[in-house]
Formats: sequence, structure tokens, C-alpha cells
Amino acid sequence: MKKLLATLGIWSALAAPALAQTTPGTTQNPNRIDGYGAPVSPSVPVNRAADETTIDIIGGYYRQDGTHGAVEGGRGTEHLTDVPPAIIVNVPLDTVSRLTANVGADFYASASTDRIDFALSTPSAHDTRFHGDFGYSREHKYKGTIWGVGAGVSKEYDYFSVNGTGSFAKTSRDGNRQLSLAGHIFLDQVTLITPIELRTTPTRGKSEYGTDTRQTYNLTATYSQVLTKRLQAAISTELVSQNGLLSTPFHRVYFYDSTTPNPVTSVDAANFSSRVPTAPKTELLPRSRFKYPISLRLNYFATDVVQIRAFYRLYNDNFGITAHTAELELPVKVTPFFVLYPFYRYHTQTAAKYFAPFLQHSISDEFYTSDYDLSDFSANKVGLGLRYSPVYGISRFHVPGQNAAGQPRIMRLKSLDLRYAHYQRSTNLVANIVSFDLGFAL
Amino acid sequence: MVLLPLGAALPSCVSVAAYQKVYLNDEDMKLSSKIVETPETNFESYREGAGGANGGKVGGGCGCN
Repeated sequence: MKKLLATLGIWSALAAPALAQTTPGTTQNPNRIDGYGAPVSPSVPVNRAADETTIDIIGGYYRQDGTHGAVEGGRGTEHLTDVPPAIIVNVPLDTVSRLTANVGADFYASASTDRIDFALSTPSAHDTRFHGDFGYSREHKYKGTIWGVGAGVSKEYDYFSVNGTGSFAKTSRDGNRQLSLAGHIFLDQVTLITPIELRTTPTRGKSEYGTDTRQTYNLTATYSQVLTKRLQAAISTELVSQNGLLSTPFHRVYFYDSTTPNPVTSVDAANFSSRVPTAPKTELLPRSRFKYPISLRLNYFATDVVQIRAFYRLYNDNFGITAHTAELELPVKVTPFFVLYPFYRYHTQTAAKYFAPFLQHSISDEFYTSDYDLSDFSANKVGLGLRYSPVYGISRFHVPGQNAAGQPRIMRLKSLDLRYAHYQRSTNLVANIVSFDLGFAL
Repeated sequence: MVLLPLGAALPSCVSVAAYQKVYLNDEDMKLSSKIVETPETNFESYREGAGGANGGKVGGGCGCN
């Protein structure tokens, strides 16, 4: 009997993902992760059944260091730490509709923003960002279509953002092709916190800074196709139009030919870069930006032990940035339920035409920034991930409430993902990040 | 431009039946980023001028300074 049950268990575990993914309309919107905006379609991991409520608890620790802080005009520390916990809940309401919620926070400490006021402790030195996104999707299995709508909000000290989204996906009868379209609108409000020496009243409070707005319109189109029994691909483009304030108000820019005296003369040289004799200005960028990236994903099941996941992106925008990004990930199945996946990512980009390093802008420039995120550089990321997802889950425990049969509800910890990445940029920026995902099913 | 001809050619590929998708239905064959990658993708969207078309953040709140 035990052998029979074990056999049935293994068969059901193997069959469940196959049924879940080959029924027309049930493939998730490719190229989409639930980390921002509102969820636009069902996104149930393979190791959990489509009719289960799934909960993912995400956490981690991020730390970066660098020497080109934009707050100090392209020099100074870029030290930043961030703890970004989040919970993603995916609830099937019935056989066709599903609710998704993504709620989280960023607890970050930034040495660079201390330099706004030339002080070691300012309101922006330690800050918290809260975000919540909620979505509803409806799937018509017979037609192979998925409709979705959603909305979200994000709030931090100097930034407030709301967003709305709508999506549509159509899957072919045989489940081998899918076209998905999604539109997002982000409406942001930015508090204009300028560097202390550029304020008319240095002691004024947050309510007196003034605000500006930014609108982002995003249209994503993805076409995915099964190529062979072991190979599938997706082509995606994400057209982005941004209007409004695109520069950061507390980023300084210093000019080699300015004659205006710098009002800040006393400097704690032990902690800060020494000031220059001439005054800075706050970063200024055009109020319109258009981005048009296109990407290709290729996944190949090479052997029963090794798979190949490849990604390439070509990026262009009207700021003059052209970029190439390539990623390669090699999941290795150490056992059927334990996967190790080393990965490597290479990114290279040209500088925005408005970028120049410290003291290399002219006062006659129409637009100017010394933010090294907009400079020309190459970046390498290397790391290792692991996933453990046994057939019967890692553990189970009771939670309050009863199921439809009147029995106590049981939550199962189905999977554990752990990942470490080391990121190094040619502009002297180094970052390390550890992240995890605990996958539960109810 | 290089990718467009490839996209046009994709519909002509062989049809794979549901019972033949045991490899394609593997967790690591999904054509999307993993949820655990979310924090990485977000910081890359802040630290690089180029972004989009990879499921990452393209607008909205910051948390990036």
C-alpha cells in the first residue's frame, strides 16, 4: 500500500505541472515578475497547484559602495544598504478569476543622501518605502484568454506614486504560442528637496519644499513560442514614455567655468569631500524621455541534469543611451528536487548625452547631470542560487480557520529559493545582494 | 531589427503536444524571471540608465538613493 501511495504521489507531482501549463490560457504572462506595479495575470509557480492560494515571502539584504555619488556632483560615497521584505499573495476566487496582492517595504540607509545637508543624520539618511499592488485577473480557458486589471501605490519621504494597469493575453489552442499585451500608467509626485546651499530658506520644512510630477506610460508586448520539446523562446518589447520631472532635485552639478561663489565654505574634511569655490546647480534633464528596449529569452532543456536559460536585451532611448545586456543561467539538478543555478550577467551602456563628470560641465550647457548611473560603463554580475522544493513540501503547520470540508487548515512550505549575487561596475561601484523566497501553499 | 525576422519565423515551428511537454513544464523552463530575482532586478533598474523588457521596474516609487 505504501508503495502504491508513493507511486501515486510521484505521478501526481509530475502530472500536476503538466496539466497546469498545457491547458490553453494557463501559461503565465512571460517576462513578468511580481516585483513592481500591479500583477497582471495569474502567476502560480510550477511547484504549486493552480487552485491553491500561494504565498511568497521575499527578503534579503543589499549593500553597495562606490565613489561617484551624484549628490556630491559625481564624487563622494555611494554607500547604500537596503532590506526589501515583501509578501506576494495569489488567491483563486473560483475556477476563472484570481486576486493577487504584493505588499512590501524597503528599509534603506543611504550615506550619499546625508550629503544633501552636509550632515551625518538627515531625514533621508534612513528612510522607508512602502508599496502595495493589487490585481484581479480572469481567465477563459476555452478561449485561451486572460484579462487583468490592477492598481498600486508607493510612498516614501520625498516620493509618492500611484499606478494602474490592464493586460490581455491570448494563448493558442495547442498552448504553444502566446501573445500578451500590458499597459501601465505611473503617476508620481516628487518633493523638491534641493541641496542645502541652493535653498532660499535653509531651515524650511518638508511642506515648504514644493513638488513636481512625473508620468510614465508603459506598453509591454511579449510573444512566446514553443520551438521544440526542449526549447522555447519569448520576444518582448517594453515601450516607455516618461514626462515631467526626470532629474533628481538634490543631485548637484559643478561647472568648470562658473563664477558664482559657493555659499558653503566650511567643510568637515574628515567626512566629506572638500567643496569647490564655485557654486553648484541642481541636476537638470529634459522633461520627456522615450525608451524602446527589445529582448529575447531562450530556455533549453539540454539534459536531464542541466538546463540553459539565456537572455539578451538591446536598449535605446532619446537620452542617447544604447545598451546591451546578456544573461546566462545554468540550472543543475543535483537531485530532482534540489537545483543549483550559477548565473552570469554582462551589461554595457553608452553615456547619456547630458552626462559629464565632476567639474566638466559648462555653465552654458542646456542640460546637465553627473549621475554615474547615466554614464558609460560596463557591469558584471555573477552569483549562485539554489532551490529546494521536495514533492511533499519542506514542512507543514496549522493555521487558523477551516477548509471547505470543515477540517483544520494546513499551510505548507513548498519551496525555498536562496540567491547570492556580486555586482561590479567599471565606474568603481560594487554591490552584493542576498535574497530568498519562501514559497507557501494553502 | 535582428530579432524581428526571428519573431516572424517563430509561428512556423513544430507543434508540441501537451503530453510531450514534460521538459517544457519544468520550473526552470518558465519564460520569466524568478520571484527571488525581484530585488536584484529592481536595483539594476536604479543603477543602470538602461532598463525595461526584462520584467523590471520602469516607473513608480524610488527607494533608490
